[in-house]
Amino acid sequence: MHEISIAESIVQIAEAKAREQYARSIQVIGLRLGTFTTIVPDALQFAFEIARQGTLARDARLDIEIVPMVVRCVVCEASTQPVRGVCLICEHCGFPLEIVSGEELQIDYIEVDSEKEESPCSQCQNESQSRPMY
Amino acid sequence: MQPVPERISVQTNVLNANQQTALANRELFADRGLLVMNLMSAPGAGKTTLLEATIKALQGHFRLAVIEGDLQTDLDAQRIQALGVRAHQITTGTVCHLDARMVARALDSFPVDDLDLLIIENVGNLICPASFDLGESLRVVVCSVAEGPEKPKKYPVMFNKANVVLINKIDLADASGVDVKELAANVREVSPKAAIFELSSRTGQGMAAWTQWLQQAVEMRALAATVSV
Ligand SMILES: Nc1nc2c(ncn2[C@@H]2O[C@H](COP(=O)(O)OP(=O)(O)O)[C@@H](O)[C@H]2O)c(=O)[nH]1
Ligand SMILES: [Mg+2]
Ligand SMILES: [Zn+2]
Repeated sequence: MHEISIAESIVQIAEAKAREQYARSIQVIGLRLGTFTTIVPDALQFAFEIARQGTLARDARLDIEIVPMVVRCVVCEASTQPVRGVCLICEHCGFPLEIVSGEELQIDYIEVDSEKEESPCSQCQNESQSRPMY
Repeated sequence: MQPVPERISVQTNVLNANQQTALANRELFADRGLLVMNLMSAPGAGKTTLLEATIKALQGHFRLAVIEGDLQTDLDAQRIQALGVRAHQITTGTVCHLDARMVARALDSFPVDDLDLLIIENVGNLICPASFDLGESLRVVVCSVAEGPEKPKKYPVMFNKANVVLINKIDLADASGVDVKELAANVREVSPKAAIFELSSRTGQGMAAWTQWLQQAVEMRALAATVSV
């Protein structure tokens, strides 16, 4: 279950970014996940539920965007999306294929609740000067 | 005060922290001209046996050390120490892979300056270790004939990232009804650039080609480090 370590890293990165922005909490974490990784989305969701506890992401949703695997032949330029089974030898010319996408494991964005106010008032400005440093 | 939801672009690789540590490990190894091999396989494919046979072939030529990764017990480290080679056991408990930080910590117990070859036996598992760079120079995957011909198809990510695939237990090919050539072809499909060796760490068949290849890699690595100084 390496999804546990992965989920912990996701929460750590998201929290660090949220703190940088003085956010109060994280609502959504957007993740790009390639199909040519060893990460199982359901297992990751499950691990995330555990990893987010007691953090700024405690109520956050993990939005996983699945990135399909795309391979390309450097010789004949043929580009394909392997569906059943992966073969990295070009069916046209026999040369090794290059992986164009499918290896992604990247945090794309987070959505946070920040303390920023539309119209500043004296009370809020005071508050923003003494922001909690978590 | 009404909270304002806000989207912030992050664009950070989830494995970033591990990759930073792996990079530091890799720089240290390159600086010392030390060849580091990350040995991975399913449990029981024969990593430790292969390691023992490889050590016996190279022991007189190089200064070796081994890091053993296992969920529990230091049995594998004991097997290596029995050959008179320095071995450090990392027990990961419930963690199914080694990561770069565990390796960095283990390095404290090695005379890194006085080594030519460091072999890391990863936790037996064809899934998780694939994602965690340790800073190694060579990723070596062991696949035994006894596991059948389909393993590369079922675990393509692990095989794809291998620099070397060692097809082990060829002495069992007939008994297990597995065509070694078919298995090798399946490896090539997912890992067209990997060097493939067919061998038996029990009978020694095919071992020489592998250990000569490795010996050359260790020598080239040391040479490259002296040239770049
Ligand atoms: N027949 C045969 N058995 C082997 C070979 N290599 C390893 N074994 C056996 O496979 C079992 C598991 O080996 P081990 O090295 O402990 O595997 P590990 O879990 O990958 O480290 C042991 O019983 C070994 O003796 C081989 O080339 N041929
Ligand atoms: Mg072992
Ligand atoms: Zn082609």
